[in-house]
Amino acid sequence: MPLWLEMQVLMLLTYAAGLGLGWLVFKRKG
Amino acid sequence: MRKRLGAAIAVLVQAYPIALVLSGAFAVAVIAAASTVAHGPALVAGIERKALAARDAAGGRGIEPRFVTASGALTRHAQLAGGERLDDALRARVAGAIARVPGVAGVSWLSAATGQGAPAERDKADSLHCQQDVEAILKVRTIRFSEASAAIDPASDALLDEVASALRPCLGSIIAVTGHTDAAGDEGANLALSRARAETVRWALVARGIPADGLRASGKGSQAPLEGLTPTDPANRRIEFSVIRKMPIRPTPVDTPGPG
Repeated sequence: MPLWLEMQVLMLLTYAAGLGLGWLVFKRKG
Repeated sequence: MRKRLGAAIAVLVQAYPIALVLSGAFAVAVIAAASTVAHGPALVAGIERKALAARDAAGGRGIEPRFVTASGALTRHAQLAGGERLDDALRARVAGAIARVPGVAGVSWLSAATGQGAPAERDKADSLHCQQDVEAILKVRTIRFSEASAAIDPASDALLDEVASALRPCLGSIIAVTGHTDAAGDEGANLALSRARAETVRWALVARGIPADGLRASGKGSQAPLEGLTPTDPANRRIEFSVIRKMPIRPTPVDTPGPG
């Protein structure tokens, strides 16, 4: 697996996780 | 100010949620690409340096780990090339040492000679396992011979039984039996004695059901003393086994090596 692809996958997954967490917090606050 | 910014974001999120998420993802992808360009070479160089040190520590000089994919991109996955003259057990050990270097994602062999794909890798692991079993048996006890003779001391019969049963899972492998002596006495005689002793052990194993054509006997005299020992140390008198590789047994009309 090339390094650039590894980096893309890792960072986009982190982004998705952050987005999901943000959405959960936002939803709880109303 | 913060309140207004928050409100603006809330409005944007409600109006264009998908567009915002996608543009965020795009920004992340650009940052990831930029950081690969900026830090990738240094990262891979660091991993390569550690991999080379691990290779040297495992005694695998000649094997080159390459951290480049077929298309030329940097990678943390090492592709190993070279070292064809090293035996398979050592190559497997070096590959293992490189694979354990922190940061290395995995290893694979580039050359077809060592076999590629899962079955070959599994066979190699089996062979190695066999050899480790034999080494473990011989670590605490040694095969004894009568003084200046190739006759195996009867006290070593039980030990040979154990060696034979440890080698049994490796049937189908080429197993090298190598005799060594210490440096006392004439080197020509030592060489002949070490060869004769290896041959005796080979036949003792054949007598215990190990196929003769999978066993190769050779002698090195005092040319390869144990690491850390002086050549004259009697502890250098020994028989070593190495499981070379897994291959189908092909019956040959003559299974003993010719003269020389």
